[in-house]
Amino acid sequence: MESSLGDRLEQLLGGSAVLPVDGYEVDGLTPQAVVRPADRLQVSEVLRWASVERVSVLPRGGGTRTGLGNVPRTADVVLDLGRLDRLLDYQPADMTATVEAGVTLASLQEQLASGREFVPLEAALPSRSTVGGILSVGTGGPLSHAYGLPREWLIGIGVLSPSGVATKAGGKVVKNVTGYDLNKLYTGSLGTLGVIVEASFKLLPIDPHSGTLLASFPSIAASLSAGRKLLHSQAAPMGFHSISTGVSRRLQDSVQAASQDLGLGDEETALSFAFFSGRAKATRRRMEEAAALLLAEGANAVQRIENSAAKGMLRWITDAPSEISPSSALVIKVSVQSKSAARTSAECGDILISGEKPDQMADPGFGSIRLFWPRLPDEQTGSADNEQPVLDAVQQTRQIANRYGGSAVVEYCPLPVKRQIDVWGDAPDSLAVMRNIKDRFDPSGILNPGRFLGGI
Amino acid sequence: MEFKRFLKGLQGIVGEENVVHHSDDLLVFEYDGSVDRGLPEAVVFPADTQEVSQVIALAHEAGVPVVGRGSGTGLSGGAIAPPGGIQVAFTRMNRILEVDTENRLALVEPGVINLDLDTHARKSGLRYAPDPSSQKACSLGGNIAENAGGPHCLAYGTTTNHVLGLEVVLEDGKVVNLGSLARETVGYDLRGVFTGSEGTFGLATKIAVRLLPVPEAVRTFLGIFPDVETACTAVSAVIEHGIVPAALEMIDALTIQAVQKVNDAGYPDDAGAVLLIELEGLQDEVDEIGEEVEAALWETGATQVRTAEAAEEREQLWVGRKGALGALGSIAPNYYLVDGVVPRTQLAQVLGQVTEVGRKYNIPIANVFHAGDGNLHPCLLFDERQPGALEKIVEAGAEVMRICVDAGGTLTGEHGVGLEKKEQMPLVFSEDDMAAMVLVRDAFAPDNSLNPGKIFPDGEKHTPHAHPASPGMTI
Ligand SMILES: Cc1cc2nc3c(=O)[nH]c(=O)nc-3n(C[C@H](O)[C@H](O)[C@H](O)COP(=O)(O)OP(=O)(O)OC[C@H]3O[C@@H](n4cnc5c(N)ncnc54)[C@H](O)[C@@H]3O)c2cc1C
Repeated sequence: MESSLGDRLEQLLGGSAVLPVDGYEVDGLTPQAVVRPADRLQVSEVLRWASVERVSVLPRGGGTRTGLGNVPRTADVVLDLGRLDRLLDYQPADMTATVEAGVTLASLQEQLASGREFVPLEAALPSRSTVGGILSVGTGGPLSHAYGLPREWLIGIGVLSPSGVATKAGGKVVKNVTGYDLNKLYTGSLGTLGVIVEASFKLLPIDPHSGTLLASFPSIAASLSAGRKLLHSQAAPMGFHSISTGVSRRLQDSVQAASQDLGLGDEETALSFAFFSGRAKATRRRMEEAAALLLAEGANAVQRIENSAAKGMLRWITDAPSEISPSSALVIKVSVQSKSAARTSAECGDILISGEKPDQMADPGFGSIRLFWPRLPDEQTGSADNEQPVLDAVQQTRQIANRYGGSAVVEYCPLPVKRQIDVWGDAPDSLAVMRNIKDRFDPSGILNPGRFLGGI
Repeated sequence: MEFKRFLKGLQGIVGEENVVHHSDDLLVFEYDGSVDRGLPEAVVFPADTQEVSQVIALAHEAGVPVVGRGSGTGLSGGAIAPPGGIQVAFTRMNRILEVDTENRLALVEPGVINLDLDTHARKSGLRYAPDPSSQKACSLGGNIAENAGGPHCLAYGTTTNHVLGLEVVLEDGKVVNLGSLARETVGYDLRGVFTGSEGTFGLATKIAVRLLPVPEAVRTFLGIFPDVETACTAVSAVIEHGIVPAALEMIDALTIQAVQKVNDAGYPDDAGAVLLIELEGLQDEVDEIGEEVEAALWETGATQVRTAEAAEEREQLWVGRKGALGALGSIAPNYYLVDGVVPRTQLAQVLGQVTEVGRKYNIPIANVFHAGDGNLHPCLLFDERQPGALEKIVEAGAEVMRICVDAGGTLTGEHGVGLEKKEQMPLVFSEDDMAAMVLVRDAFAPDNSLNPGKIFPDGEKHTPHAHPASPGMTI
């Protein structure tokens, strides 16, 4: 049995499309085969075959977020979409572009830069992260306050159904209400409804100037309250992020150097990043006013950084969650209304695992707080003694998120814990509709089985 | 269930005074803003979610199809009752429940008028960005159903980019919440796919939308051009400067003539096109970018450029654009508005082809459109009293849609498919594409009893009816 799925895929697509399974594990499950089709016709063939044979298929882009989601019920075949990596159409004057799903974000942005434009998608590890993966996960980054989520920029989509049938929705124009907006349905569906093979986006011009303000505060609470004031002022940045000491200890050298005058020594000190971009003059005025406001609101010190160094900071903050997660005992992203972000951060900050508080990355504009409980050096991953405190912390975080009408997604935890929870949290009252959709789109349940909310 | 008993049931839920069922009284509900018509069996005016839920549950049990009705300004026949169906009208559910300035969001009932929400929000320095030209009349529920757009959607996105959460009643009367007040939620993005579903998935009974801060400075530019092609090069020039204005609108010569007849907007008689551009942001941005815009307008051949920053003066520049559709009544008794979208760069060429269609059918065509989005609105002018005029118009309209699709565009940018364009859907979507869409509808409404007969082709011939060019609104 071991090799038979691989053999059959070789017969179907030829030997070069089937890869060794090493490095393709998903939540501890080793797939029986990994297939890397050359084009969408081959993807369609794989799906047609898999749906007839009832073989489970786990679509994969760059593999940067394969840990997200519940432990799959089965993981027969990993479908690597990395070879679908062409830019199909780019019209700078229309400010739209159409790409294949396997193109990486870095490569796409590079090609769009030739037309002085970019697509406002944000993802960690952009040289590996693919457009299809970013859409499937559907989340944003440090500039979500200004740009929203990938859903705002996707204008058209090409999808292969679980039985391999090609369908599309939307189109290549920036405004479109022809037919249902299935773009929204596929975005954030974690590959449970179909395999995204093509996407069209609306684009933005690259701002000529960018800058970052770095500010230190006596506490994360103080930084969040100042951040909210700033976000509600005319000098509002594109995004505002506060990080606690544990996170700032991992600052890369360039950020470290920039922040050396900010007095980050104290345990409670929080570091804030305010990101700006636009025309040079207006950006400078915003930054000046913002710096004054932050100081008036209790910042210890403020440092101003411009252009390429400022972009480096943004890169660092975007990548930080994926850098920090592997050395954490538990990572949860809490999403609440922006006005509740400070309280949520304060309350969650008191939840302990083995006596340790979580480190935090908080965005008071978008209303998201990432909590990272450190992994203790002596910790035995998987030992039963260590599961309960993690489970308790998940429970307590969820209670707080629920109280503020938000959600708490477990992004990273030890496998034994993961097997006992739904990482997405409590199901909303619309779960029945979601199940109806899944049952109709994927009646044999072959796509990413069990990974989504409520075991979808 | 016999209809009389059903009616009694409805009256029992909402009160006798809130059910309209005499045929004379029903006549006003036979139309929306489109060229379609259909008499409902009854119109029900519920007061709250619970009444909506009971009404829908009762109708479902009785096998009576239901269509929601906001203000009836829809231009694709969305609110037209299906045969044997009833309308649920949201006129009484028109309260703004909350404007949360801390969180920058509003919670409203579906019958709230778009402009009322914006006006209310502005008292707190906030605004509701999507601003359909019908904003004085259309409802938020209708905006959600159609995913309405408007001039300022160029920079801020259409309705769907502003909806946070929805409370909706499903076809069996069950109430569910989609999305939430937080920006991010778990599970499938149901509020996203509900928005633009044209009343076929459920009826929205509460709506949470984002509000944006009012910018420090706003400047409006009005450029007069000798013709539409030249004005289109100005549009491209602005975009090429890396500028995305808040709004970028155009009207053509025939529209200008109509506007001037009704209400002197100060346009020269020989103007071939008027371009309106609005910039928003910090004063410094508006100043710097404003200079570039103005230069681009002159360089591309504007014969006049006017600018304004004070609210009343800006209003003055907008008068012509805002009154454009209403003004068409001064040159023809009826118009049929086509809502095609094309890639921005195809605008000039497509408008040329549209003119050809006008020539071929001998129909005057006035253009009023969202140039920045490539969303055109050719208005085909006619007189419905002339035998065969309407049929000719609809045929010409279909040709315009085909031109848009051939240019890489699509059938509708903001008005919806409804009854009007359902037979054209195969121009854009394959059987398989549409089958996937229908799966979603089946998941929300397995019995397809909400607004049936819309969006998807069923081979029925589109039999339009005319409506007057001034729909009784000051838009
Ligand atoms: C002069 C004029 C200018 C216009 N300009 C624009 C424009 O710039 N941009 C634009 O996008 N549109 C425009 N429109 C079209 C129209 O105003 C919009 O489509 C608007 O969103 C319709 O709102 P309504 O309340 O009138 O909805 P209705 O016409 O009453 O209904 C429209 C659809 O919404 C459904 N519906 C209503 N309420 C609910 C609810 N609570 N839950 C579920 N479904 C519901 C109905 O069943 C129907 O399918 C214009 C119309 C006119 C007449």
